[in-house]
Amino acid sequence: MSKKEDILARYRAHVRERFDRPVLDDIQAITYPDPLAQFVRMSQTVGGRVVEAEGNINDLIRKLFPEAKEIASNLPEITIATRNPDTVESARALNGTDVGVIRGCFGVAENGCIWIPQTMKEKAVCFISENLVILLPKDRIVNNMHEAYRQVEFHDYGYGTFISGPSKTADIAQVLVMGAQAARSVTVVLV
Amino acid sequence: MSTLHSEKAKAFLQDEAYSQWHDNTFWSVRTKRDTMARGLPEWEQLREKASAIKRHTVTHLDEYLDQFATNAEKNGVIVHWAADAAEFNETVYGILKEHGVRKMVKSKSMLTEECEMNPYLEARGIEVVETDLGERIIQLKGQKPSHIVMPAIHLNHDDVGELFEEKGISDEKGNHDPTYLTYRARLSLRNEFLTADAGMTGANFGIAATGDIVVCTNEGNADMSTSCPKLHIAAIGLEKVIPDYECLAVFQRMLCRAGTGQPTTTYTSHFRKARAKDAEMHIILVDNGRSDWVGNPDHWEVLKCIRCGSCMNTCPVYRRSGGYSYSYFIPGPVGINLGMLRNPREHSGNVSACTLCLSCQSVCPVKIDLGDQVYKWRQELRALGAANKGKKALCDAMSLMFGSSGLYRTATAVSPLLNILPHGLVHSGVNPWAEGHEMMEFPKKPFHSIFKDLEKE
Repeated sequence: MSKKEDILARYRAHVRERFDRPVLDDIQAITYPDPLAQFVRMSQTVGGRVVEAEGNINDLIRKLFPEAKEIASNLPEITIATRNPDTVESARALNGTDVGVIRGCFGVAENGCIWIPQTMKEKAVCFISENLVILLPKDRIVNNMHEAYRQVEFHDYGYGTFISGPSKTADIAQVLVMGAQAARSVTVVLV
Repeated sequence: MSTLHSEKAKAFLQDEAYSQWHDNTFWSVRTKRDTMARGLPEWEQLREKASAIKRHTVTHLDEYLDQFATNAEKNGVIVHWAADAAEFNETVYGILKEHGVRKMVKSKSMLTEECEMNPYLEARGIEVVETDLGERIIQLKGQKPSHIVMPAIHLNHDDVGELFEEKGISDEKGNHDPTYLTYRARLSLRNEFLTADAGMTGANFGIAATGDIVVCTNEGNADMSTSCPKLHIAAIGLEKVIPDYECLAVFQRMLCRAGTGQPTTTYTSHFRKARAKDAEMHIILVDNGRSDWVGNPDHWEVLKCIRCGSCMNTCPVYRRSGGYSYSYFIPGPVGINLGMLRNPREHSGNVSACTLCLSCQSVCPVKIDLGDQVYKWRQELRALGAANKGKKALCDAMSLMFGSSGLYRTATAVSPLLNILPHGLVHSGVNPWAEGHEMMEFPKKPFHSIFKDLEKE
């Protein structure tokens, strides 16, 4: 027998009563009168910043990050990008990115999560950038994670993540610090 | 009558200021959890569902594991099975050796702690770098985690500051500000991410329907660990597999709210395939006792645990004794029970670390009857030969007394005499019931005499 069969056989020999799957579609999950307003509130609670798109997106990013030198994006409208995560030689070449610009699919009102399926060759851009800008259609906000998981889709890259605010830690003496190993700030631009 | 736990707890409590801080810190996490729970009208319904999903899944693991492995393989992932810790460690080493890996970055995994993987790999010349900040701190310190979610909670900012100075991670001597120290660790770990040959993650969930593994972190270190290297190894315990996204939604909503009192972790990452055509993703499914535990009629439900840490945060004994007072590497209520399943003789000292207040099971997001289980383990101590000799003698004496009405009447008649014993004698250490508190006063007239007198009237 293979290791797999060994383990499953031992499990079958030991498991006792088998329980049925519960019904889940009767969960009375929270909804909000204004999901967008709740999403904005939660994004701020988790340490993120939300701005409305106005004028040219490149001008807005310049205005938000006047000091930024290296900007990484594979989005066609980000013409100020100096690096492209689709064409860089390796993920390591994205280190030192001041601002990474990516697109989010939808936001979740209850916790500020944004679904980011990988749509670029190097997903490192989502984490290695000092500051992350997520472009998010403001008409795509769901109430809660139950609704969210009904909409989750992947691209050919087999990776996707929900991001809610900047990387954070409280591992030193329980003091909350933004910017642990990944992006130190997250700005959501509602488009 | 002290156990190993109570002896270590006594030492922990010597530092009054620190033990008070520890207690308050975890109580504040518990309070944050309450705020989160009350913020969702459906919270208790979610707990019911989460428990029912886990009961179903843990008792259908053969089907879900097969489905999970089949789907992961369809996605091009290489799936391995390990019967125990030794097989797991050998499998990891085999993969690393084949790829010529010298350095591996990894995110937090209680499973790799359970299997003592790091020392195994280090002995074979592989550098393993923990990338969760708390885990990194204790790795540099040569210690083990004292909490499953906040592994370095036993160290303060001065401890970490001095450690970072010693290891050359921070260069401003005496600057022990947590923001500064976190920034210095970021720079140091960034270099590790960029130079590692492999990345390892644990998994909070495996999704049978899609073959994804889901990893939840606040730091983004699991994502950083897997973004540069071409090799990703995921270590996952059998019980972590759940059916599908509909079930995942329930757990995603509860894990962080229950554990740290946040509405979500910053990152909820789904890994479905290797990150590039010339890259590899391996999943190692680890049994290490789980397929036996599922057959334990009283204790199998511990397998429902999602490792949120909420039972530790609320436990009055954990809060006042700290993670290192427990002999098993996972402390607190769930750790007591997991330790007993692992090796009851070695870890029976931990079952004393419970007041049976049952706070743990009233907060557990998957409704494990943690306190009830501790009670049941206590009933088994005699059979295990682990019962305390003094207590055993007392219990035998009490059975004798309560079993004979003559002895009982004599005992209650003379018991008021104990009231007039000198305080020093009662508290001399021979009497464990007088340790740390005053003895009760025995009534002059026992209840059954009063009752009989009333009957006569």
